[in-house]
Amino acid sequence: MTTGIDRRGLLRGSAAASALALAAPALLRSAAAQGAPIRIGFPVPLTGAFGAEANDQVRAAQLAIKEFNEAGGFQGRNAELIVRDDKLNPGEAAGRTLELIEKDKVNFLVGGLSAAVTLSINNVARERGVIYNSISQSDAINEAKDFGRTTFHEALNPHMTAGAVGRYVFPKSGKRVAFLSADYAYGHEMMRGFKRAGEASGIEVVADIRHPIGASDYSAFLPRIAALKPDVLCLCNFGRDQVVSIQQATEFGLKRTTKLVAPILLFTARKAGGDAFDGVIGGTSYYWRLEDSVPSAKAFNDRFRAAYGGAVPSDYGALGYAGVRSVLEGVKAAGSVETDKVVAAMETLKADFYKGPQSFRKCDHQLVQSVLIVESKSKGLKTPDDVFTILGTEGPDERFLRSCDELGHKA
Amino acid sequence: MSAPLTRIAAAEDGVPAARPGSGRTGRWLRRAGRHRVALTLAFLLILPWIAPYQALAVTILVLGLYALGFNLLFGYTGLLSFGHAAFLGGGAYGCGIAIVRYGLHPVLALVAGTLLATLIAAAMGVLAIRTRGIYFAMTTLALSMCVYYGFYQAESFTGGENGLRGINVPSLTLPGLRLSLLDPIVKYYAVLAVVGLAVWLFSRLLSSPFGAALEAIRENESRAQACGYDVRRMKLVAFVLSGALCGLAGALQAIHLSIVPIETMHYSTSGQAVMMALLGGMGTFFGPFVGAATFALLQDGLATLTSHWQLFVGAIFIAFVLFLPLGIWGEVLARLRRAGW
Repeated sequence: MTTGIDRRGLLRGSAAASALALAAPALLRSAAAQGAPIRIGFPVPLTGAFGAEANDQVRAAQLAIKEFNEAGGFQGRNAELIVRDDKLNPGEAAGRTLELIEKDKVNFLVGGLSAAVTLSINNVARERGVIYNSISQSDAINEAKDFGRTTFHEALNPHMTAGAVGRYVFPKSGKRVAFLSADYAYGHEMMRGFKRAGEASGIEVVADIRHPIGASDYSAFLPRIAALKPDVLCLCNFGRDQVVSIQQATEFGLKRTTKLVAPILLFTARKAGGDAFDGVIGGTSYYWRLEDSVPSAKAFNDRFRAAYGGAVPSDYGALGYAGVRSVLEGVKAAGSVETDKVVAAMETLKADFYKGPQSFRKCDHQLVQSVLIVESKSKGLKTPDDVFTILGTEGPDERFLRSCDELGHKA
Repeated sequence: MSAPLTRIAAAEDGVPAARPGSGRTGRWLRRAGRHRVALTLAFLLILPWIAPYQALAVTILVLGLYALGFNLLFGYTGLLSFGHAAFLGGGAYGCGIAIVRYGLHPVLALVAGTLLATLIAAAMGVLAIRTRGIYFAMTTLALSMCVYYGFYQAESFTGGENGLRGINVPSLTLPGLRLSLLDPIVKYYAVLAVVGLAVWLFSRLLSSPFGAALEAIRENESRAQACGYDVRRMKLVAFVLSGALCGLAGALQAIHLSIVPIETMHYSTSGQAVMMALLGGMGTFFGPFVGAATFALLQDGLATLTSHWQLFVGAIFIAFVLFLPLGIWGEVLARLRRAGW
């Protein structure tokens, strides 16, 4: 048995080493020409109640990255998406954001899917001066207390969503309005949006009922509401609460006398919830049938279909796309990946990525954009994905946002 | 309650009640036991250089302290509590509110958080100590959920569902010293300074007559009582001290993450403490840190690899419970002792 290194092996080894040493500068040079990729951290809840939405967000975000790279990237630098599972837990999200910033050295952050999680990512990112484009609904993120100069909010906020739905429904369906709200920040924010919109059309609030978040039995609340025979019932809740409360309201026969309204109708929730959603009106940031009237939506859908075997993007998925795209377009416009320059570029970005014109408001970096009013249907579907009718679109307008003063931003 | 724990006592290093090993291994273990604080700190000093990233190392440190505090009650006194999230959360909120609403110095905020957790522990302890066994576990669980809902509803202070944000401590100014906590390594060693102090105090506590009395209660409560110890009062003191240690862990976590999510107080967080203590080896000095590191690394690593991480984490935990009932560190110590020559 020979042990150790023999002469031949040593020769071979040193030959290989010197070859590598000669080639190294060349390799390094070509790497430098390629440039380090522009890294975008993308924390979303791949596991948890919104796993389906989160996976769609990842797919759509990858599409934005692919487009950017195919168009040549930025000065030879490609973009790269680093996906992390935040488990729908704000603490986990904060830890993952630290990992993305400190270890992965991301240039930008996009993501989040729940108010608490998005606020937590935002707090970690703003403290370290990293641009974070939130794609989750939240009112608090606009307020001066949580806002940082690197904070951007691509998603709708509860105030504008509920407001748009209220402004559409109240004049048409009647003025006697009942509220059934989940008793937490998001439910309250939605209700505030509805009430603010209702002031203009002079609604009368006949009931204001709060239920604990995660309630599975609404039989204590619904008969009281049914007895009042309101014209409109606003369900200010989300996710499973929304599905269950709508199912039970249908069983109680509320739909015969009352129009059911949910501030946000999720494409994925509607597909899971089925017929019970029939006739329910709500708001959304995006619905794929927008392609019938908006060319950029058609183009986005077609690219998505081509990439993912004919599937259409969901509302939250589309936000994943737009969130990443806003940042990358900001880089292009700024001609730099430096935070300050990209912030300035994003503030003045006027774009039409997938749903018509959109731009960030200067004071709180909220995206001013359209809100779609949709009604759920279950008959006459062209395809299984054809679950909503677009009733109307409220165009982008700063008037529908809370004013900068109200949010605590100094002019 | 105490019968299944008797076995565990043999796995402890350097604690008076432990059976001294024979021969060379026994001598080594005794020697290691005498320097348990130094050895624990030595491991924690190199941890950030072997952990996948520094923020995770800080998390392990904080969780380790949390499990350590829990272990005082569970491993050393023999009381299984399912309500320790209230102390972790109380410490976190106390520290966070002190910084966000009152602008206190971070060091004072740590004290404030620990004090709040101590108060919650005292209030819960007075009620829970009256019960034993499974009733004790249920009472602590119920009381901690009361605390949870209290903090959930106090939205103007705690941020409610959205959690408390803005616990931004970019730098720490001490007399003659200014540390940038935005640098992850500096943050790690700043947190380690506090955790190290707590570990040292904990060790002193265990080797005091009081520590020995706690183990006497664990081994045989009636006999401890017959020896003249005021068992109920000692249990209460152990409960409050355990709460204070967990509160300090919570306060450090608030500064580490710069937020306090309401989930910190959820009963699943109490379950984490039980899990980490069991994984590491209950009633061992170093076990909680082993448990915390295993727990955090498993969750982190698997979640990066697959979205079905829960399945694998569950299977691994079951395997640990089935094949390593003494926990990782407990098993290591037991084997060393058995192999003693």
